[in-house]
Amino acid sequence: MKKASVTSHAQSLASRWAVVGLVIGVAFFVISAAVAYLNIENVRASEREIRRTHVVLTTLDDVLSAMLDAETGQRGYLLTGRDAYLEPYSDGVGQSTEEMRKLKGLTSASAVQKANFAMLENRVAARMQIMEEVLALRRTGGIAAAIAGLNTDRGKNVMDDIREQVMRMTREEQRVRETRLIEMAAASQAAIVSAVITSLSGIALTIAIFILFIRNTRSRERQQWLQAAQADLGKAMMGDKTIAELGAAILSFLHERTGSPAGALFKGEGGTFRRANMLGVPGDADVPAEFTLNEGLMGQVAVDGRIMVLNDVPLGYLTVGSSLGRSAPRHLVIAPAKADDAVNAVIELGFFEPVDDVVLDLLEEASGAIGIALRSARFRERLQDALEETQRQASELQAQSEELRVSNEELEEQGSALRESQARLELQQVELEQTNSQLEEQAQTLETQRDELERASATLQLKARELEQASQYKTDFLANMSHELRTPLNSLLILSKLLGDNPDGNLSAEQVRFAQTIQSSGNDLLNLINDILDLSKIEAGHIEIQAASVPMDRLLGDLKKVFQPIADERGLTLALELSDDCPRSILTDRMRVEQILKNLMSNALKFTERGSVQLTVASAGEDCVALTVTDTGIGITKEQQDSIFDAFQQADGSISRRYGGTGLGLSISRELARLLGGAITVESEVGAGSRFTLTIPATYDPSKVPVRDQARAAPQPAVASPPPARRRPAAKPRPASIEDDRNALDTGKRLLLVIEDDATFASIVCDLSHELGFQCIVAGTAQEAIDIARDYKPSAIVLDIGLPDQSGLTVLDHLKHQDETRHIPIHVISGADQSQTALALGAIGYLEKPVQRERLAEVLAGLQQKLASSMRRVLIVEDNEVQRDAVSELLKSQDVETVGVGTVAKCLELLRSEPFDCMVLDLALPDASGFSLLEELSQDSDRAYPPVIIYTGRDLTTEEEQRLRRYSSSIIIKGAKSPERLLDEVSLFLHQVVAEMPPEQRRMLEKARHRDAALEGRRVLIVEDDVRNVYSLTSVLEPRGVIAKIARNGQEALDMLEASADGADKPIDLVLMDVMMPVMDGLTAVRAMRSNPKWAKLPVIMLTAKAMPDDQQNCLDAGANDYMAKPIDVDKLLSLVRVWMPR
Amino acid sequence: MDAALVTSSIEDIEIQLLLEALYQHYHYDFRHYARASIKRRLLQARAQLGYGSISEIQAAVLRDSTLLPRLLDFLTVQVSEMFRDPSYFRALREKVIPHLHTYPSLKVWVAGCSNGEELYSLAILFHEEGLAKKTMFYATDINPTALKAAQAGVYSLDRIRLFTENHQASGGRSSLSDYYTANYGRAVFDKSLCSQVVFSDHSLVTDAAFAEMHLISCRNVLIYFDRDLQDRAVGLFRDSLARRGFLGLGSKESLRFSSHADAFADFVREEKIYQRTGS
Repeated sequence: MKKASVTSHAQSLASRWAVVGLVIGVAFFVISAAVAYLNIENVRASEREIRRTHVVLTTLDDVLSAMLDAETGQRGYLLTGRDAYLEPYSDGVGQSTEEMRKLKGLTSASAVQKANFAMLENRVAARMQIMEEVLALRRTGGIAAAIAGLNTDRGKNVMDDIREQVMRMTREEQRVRETRLIEMAAASQAAIVSAVITSLSGIALTIAIFILFIRNTRSRERQQWLQAAQADLGKAMMGDKTIAELGAAILSFLHERTGSPAGALFKGEGGTFRRANMLGVPGDADVPAEFTLNEGLMGQVAVDGRIMVLNDVPLGYLTVGSSLGRSAPRHLVIAPAKADDAVNAVIELGFFEPVDDVVLDLLEEASGAIGIALRSARFRERLQDALEETQRQASELQAQSEELRVSNEELEEQGSALRESQARLELQQVELEQTNSQLEEQAQTLETQRDELERASATLQLKARELEQASQYKTDFLANMSHELRTPLNSLLILSKLLGDNPDGNLSAEQVRFAQTIQSSGNDLLNLINDILDLSKIEAGHIEIQAASVPMDRLLGDLKKVFQPIADERGLTLALELSDDCPRSILTDRMRVEQILKNLMSNALKFTERGSVQLTVASAGEDCVALTVTDTGIGITKEQQDSIFDAFQQADGSISRRYGGTGLGLSISRELARLLGGAITVESEVGAGSRFTLTIPATYDPSKVPVRDQARAAPQPAVASPPPARRRPAAKPRPASIEDDRNALDTGKRLLLVIEDDATFASIVCDLSHELGFQCIVAGTAQEAIDIARDYKPSAIVLDIGLPDQSGLTVLDHLKHQDETRHIPIHVISGADQSQTALALGAIGYLEKPVQRERLAEVLAGLQQKLASSMRRVLIVEDNEVQRDAVSELLKSQDVETVGVGTVAKCLELLRSEPFDCMVLDLALPDASGFSLLEELSQDSDRAYPPVIIYTGRDLTTEEEQRLRRYSSSIIIKGAKSPERLLDEVSLFLHQVVAEMPPEQRRMLEKARHRDAALEGRRVLIVEDDVRNVYSLTSVLEPRGVIAKIARNGQEALDMLEASADGADKPIDLVLMDVMMPVMDGLTAVRAMRSNPKWAKLPVIMLTAKAMPDDQQNCLDAGANDYMAKPIDVDKLLSLVRVWMPR
Repeated sequence: MDAALVTSSIEDIEIQLLLEALYQHYHYDFRHYARASIKRRLLQARAQLGYGSISEIQAAVLRDSTLLPRLLDFLTVQVSEMFRDPSYFRALREKVIPHLHTYPSLKVWVAGCSNGEELYSLAILFHEEGLAKKTMFYATDINPTALKAAQAGVYSLDRIRLFTENHQASGGRSSLSDYYTANYGRAVFDKSLCSQVVFSDHSLVTDAAFAEMHLISCRNVLIYFDRDLQDRAVGLFRDSLARRGFLGLGSKESLRFSSHADAFADFVREEKIYQRTGS
């Protein structure tokens, strides 16, 4: 409606201009015609006047000449008296009268001439009178009288007057003529001028009309462009689009129509405008995600509802980006979109050039359409949300109703249970009453006992509190007291030292010995106090561990410095060794480690009389370091080994006295070791020596420090067996992104997807593919690969198996199981040999790394050729002719050619001579069975046989199915729906066909089959009921020389093991065991195996679909050596098998 | 009003904590079950087990693992009947079974088998259609008590009447009584029905696909899950299904809003039977 009114407004405006133009044009021509007419009239009037003047003048002359004729006639008569002379006279009179009458008519228009004429008439009349009189005199008086009459000169005077009068009139007429002439000249001048003006105006008008016409045409063109644009916009916005999609459609439409390189669309909702989409703006550009009314220019536009144009905006206002660079548009248009006159979206467009008005018109006129489309999209989204909500509510309702059913059932059950129990209760009540009295008696006894117990318990509690307090007192006391003791001891030590040194030399030798004894006793006392203090600090939890990097060689060097002199003094060998496998430095509290080691070493030196003391540092298990002090001293008895670490205990009470020391050192060391997250262990033999081992983590971790009580438990041996489950190696970092063609795709060219995490190799493949006319995209991870394959639909794929996130085989499997990607030929390239698996999963070929460039080129060329040949050939092996024709008819299509054969011999012959993409095989054939055909084909190693679809009318036993699975992954039993499935399967295979492999490549594969010496000839029992899993497991293991045995459940596995133990079959080396199986599950089977000594050591790897730690623990608890989570990762499976395979 | 709000929010926190505790200690993951339903059931459990608050249940169940089965019974809704929604089974019989006849061997997964009613229904249906011999059934649930009940296949006699009606309505070709023995107020279903059944503990929340299935029946399980968990479960079904395999859902469940909806096509729309597309 709005659009229509705008147009009609424009039209009425245009037509008004047209009317005005028309009026002006007509008026112009009328006026110029009138001017011309007037000019002509003027000229004509003047000319008429001149002509009249001319007639007057001639008439005047005629009057005069008539008068003269009359006078001449009169004179003749007067002289002759003959009447013949009277004739000219009367003619003259008559003529003059005539002329006078004419003159009267001619002069009647002018007042002056009229007066003059009157006078002339009088004079002429008077002259006529006089001549009449003279004539009369002649007649009567004769000649003399007549001459006398003449002599009066009256006649002459009158005549002169007449002449004069004629002259006057002549002058007057001449004056008039002059005037007329001037007027006529003026008029003709005016006519010329007006003609010039008219023609000039005519030209101007024509030009104006031309301009108007051009303008009109142009505006119509614009109008048409606008209408076409609006119609196309309408088309672009059609369909069930989300707001974001709609935004994208609108922006790309506007981009296409207006040439705007960048744009953004914001959708408003409740006063807030959120960005719905952007176009041409780089991802990292600083474009606001939303704005509110009146916020910034956009907000302004949202409020005003009018288009805003900004020219020559400063650089950096908005950027346009592509992979090649970015630029900043200099002109911006911000336009609102409206629905029901309310702004519900704002579009911002950037331009490099100033903005054309027609763009603004388009934005203005499309405003409503865009607004309404966006509003509809919003409504659709709401509707979608509402639908989802409804679905959710329906589920919720269903859940509630299920719950109600449960409660209902429970209530019913409870009701019947209640009834039953009521009867029982009644019975019991009687019994109860009887026992009641007995109980009452017992209760009394119990009460007394209880009171006693309570008293005892109160006493105990009191004691416990006292003990606790006492312990606290002890700790506090020790801490305080030892401090207090140290101060006086210090001075005692210094002074006794001074005395013992005897600097003045005034003491006797005995006095010096006394002083030295005082000093050494003081030292012992100080050590004891220090130890007590340390121990009490540790017990009170006042020790803090300060971890720092400790270089091992420095640690040992320092210890050597301290202990070498002592060892030398005692005549002992001291050896400090750092083993190669131990870390160069560890993260721990150096002071505490030193304290422990010093204690251990001084003990060792102390208790060793001869021989050596040795400190060795070695790595112990995962992330641990073992520091071992070995001596050849007196040793410790087994019984004492437990107690030496307890405070105030020593191996022998007498030791303290014999060797000195407080006996607290080991307690402190053990406590410190615990605080460091480690432990001290001792091995010793009396008389042979002792070995103390301090094991601490290479990296101190406060969270792993055991609490004190646990530390008293026997310390764990530090050397642990390797952890049972191997972790996947950490994902390799993503490859640096490789320049590929994803941003510059040309739809005409074939696209190759290279899935490879090694950037170098990827770029080699990429370059090579360019040479062969492919475009190339590189994906570095499995996920990216799958996304790209889905989004870009490449024509072919080169796939590396070793990807950082998932195995490439997963990618292959995924792509071959998606409708939109399964037809894409995939060529696998890998560092490890997994050719069989890859080909089984549908790869068209396999290359092993390292790959030569020529081989790679061949592969790509092969892909190219594969893409070029579109005709597919299907071989149908079926003996029944009717059936064969039916299948052929079913499968035949434009690009599928079918060939039917009825016998095995014919089939083999054809397969050897012609290539086929797929084969449909009936098992029952006249000359041989389908089974033998398949076996023969698989042994024919010179050529790859096409994928086989078994199409059979008979039911298969499990064994038969298992056998067929080796050759065919698709088995169809004929039935009502089988044609449908056959068509489906065939079309699948036709697109994932294994290309004919060159013999060289096949030989390579053959060779690769026997590569794994660790697995060659080993027997693996696969216990798994899922045919697909069995197939994939065997296809991984068999190419490596493994002899796979298959059991379908736990019981079968046990039977087979039994058979092999009896010597009926060769022994099994390793078992792969599924958990979830019929008859007997995997866990039960493993338990049964472990309970039998024959298989107690047989390696078992469990395959479980369960993910929880305790599920996996269950496997290990049942006796499995290791487990593997499904879905099965081929690489991991192989490494597990290699790890556990007995050597 | 305010008090009610405060109570409810504390309850929500308690529920969250209890579910977290169950997950961390027992590895039962109910954290993504539909919260409203879990809440109702936990409140019911609190009332019936006689605890003052949900936190008390948490404290008790963490220390006393014997309480876990009882709590599981509350948390998992174990209710069904044989041939429930007979039209669903009729659709399986008439539309799906002909396709299944084309496979040499079959795998059927009853996910969330509860006390086994649905499993026995399918087993009987497959038996009647002559597929029983080549079919392997997998019956899974997270509740061990329910699994045991399913394995036992014992139902109270008064339910059998309804089962029989349903069976007939589903187009049954034999008499239901051929498959059970009734005695002592109970009906025991024929053990031969179970000879091709694997009962297993399997969680749709945490565990992976374990075999390639041709039919998955998972009825009235997804309704207890939130959106994310539904997506995970459906993803698991997608990964487990063979090409053109079938998935049957409950009458109020739908794949329409699932993020894996593209992987399935409506097969019998009104009965919520879907077919795996692609591959």
